[in-house]
Amino acid sequence: MRFKIAALVAVTLVLQRVLGMPGMPAWFGHLILPMIWIVAASLVRKERHWPYEALLLGLAWDLLFGPVVGPGGIAWTAACLSLYGLASVVADRSPRAWAAFGAVGAVVVILVQRLAVMPLGLASFLTFGQLAWSALLTGLWCGFVGTVLALDLGKHWRAYQVRKLR
Amino acid sequence: MSRTHVLRTLLIWTLLELLAALQVPAVGGGPVLFSWLRTLVEPVAMVAHGAVALAVDLGLGARGLQHAIVENRQMRIDLETLRARQILLQADLAALREIGDFAGSNAEFDAGALFGRCTYRDLIAGTMEVRTARSFILAHDTPVVSAKGLVGRVLRSEGRRHWLQLLTHAAAAVAVQTEDSLVHGLALGTGSNALTIAYVPRQAALERGALLVTSGGDGIYPPGIPAARVTRIRESDGPFLEVTAISTADLHATRMVLILPKWAPAASGGLP
Repeated sequence: MRFKIAALVAVTLVLQRVLGMPGMPAWFGHLILPMIWIVAASLVRKERHWPYEALLLGLAWDLLFGPVVGPGGIAWTAACLSLYGLASVVADRSPRAWAAFGAVGAVVVILVQRLAVMPLGLASFLTFGQLAWSALLTGLWCGFVGTVLALDLGKHWRAYQVRKLR
Repeated sequence: MSRTHVLRTLLIWTLLELLAALQVPAVGGGPVLFSWLRTLVEPVAMVAHGAVALAVDLGLGARGLQHAIVENRQMRIDLETLRARQILLQADLAALREIGDFAGSNAEFDAGALFGRCTYRDLIAGTMEVRTARSFILAHDTPVVSAKGLVGRVLRSEGRRHWLQLLTHAAAAVAVQTEDSLVHGLALGTGSNALTIAYVPRQAALERGALLVTSGGDGIYPPGIPAARVTRIRESDGPFLEVTAISTADLHATRMVLILPKWAPAASGGLP
């Protein structure tokens, strides 16, 4: 199960890389695909420990997309801890909650990452529009995944296969 | 979130930030982390440097204070020395005035008289050392007086230094008489401040407290100089009275003396 999740995380990171390739729409850069993993961890996981997975995810993010390794780990663990806290006070687990958690996670990741690189002299310009677009698109992405999980398409697919065999 | 979680989070975030700072080059070269470390260390180094400078300044200040104290002490010693010299000079000046008045009142002391300053005396041995302003070769037996009376005679002279035999010397003898010239005698030194007046006839009219002046009969001292004052008179079995006197010249405190070269036996050729 862990290997499967790790492989899927790697796939999302590769997809994130693909979204930034030349020729892709510019607004793809606002979308943060790996956010779904910490949103899922905060909404689905029953026992919560310190988010080492988020740390690894952030370091991987830094390796692939950042100028230096380190700030991503801070930002992603901060986002994961924030979502843990939010999940402990919000009982809703609907796709709408997935979308909201994704938006919040995106905002936290972007802000904390900017704060972390600020002492290094690497902080880039950030507008409220960029932040809003990232929150919106990431929220939509997480909401979409949440919707798919809520519809339980796998269950319907297996039922369809059973009926077809009869 | 528990306290352990918070501490762990802060620790990991700090390590990650330091890791990132190690990768970013600073403007002056080297990682940003080193510039952060320099920023942290420099104030400490500045404080340490300031503390060392303060300690050095304090040391220099203490040394300067010590020098100032030593100089102050030396200046106090110099000041006390100057005060002592001033007192001595005032005493010399007073003695000089006194002896000047004494010399001026005596017409027989002409301009040939020399002022001398007592530099050493041994009243037990009956000697005194006198210094003059210029070098003189004084004749043996040159008489020496002070403002209060006869002092003695010159024994030896060498440049500015002259050695005297006081009239209290055990071997000294001065021909004396009363002021009215009725009683004559010979004042003999005893080695102390007292003098023995010899050869005073039993019938002599001599009273205690009488002043004895030089008679000039010894051929050394000029006549009329106060020499002694009678302190005790006793009759004896012999033909003479036992008379004791004390020198009028305050030999303990005499600072300035008047040397009379003209009255030296060699210069005068005997009695004037």
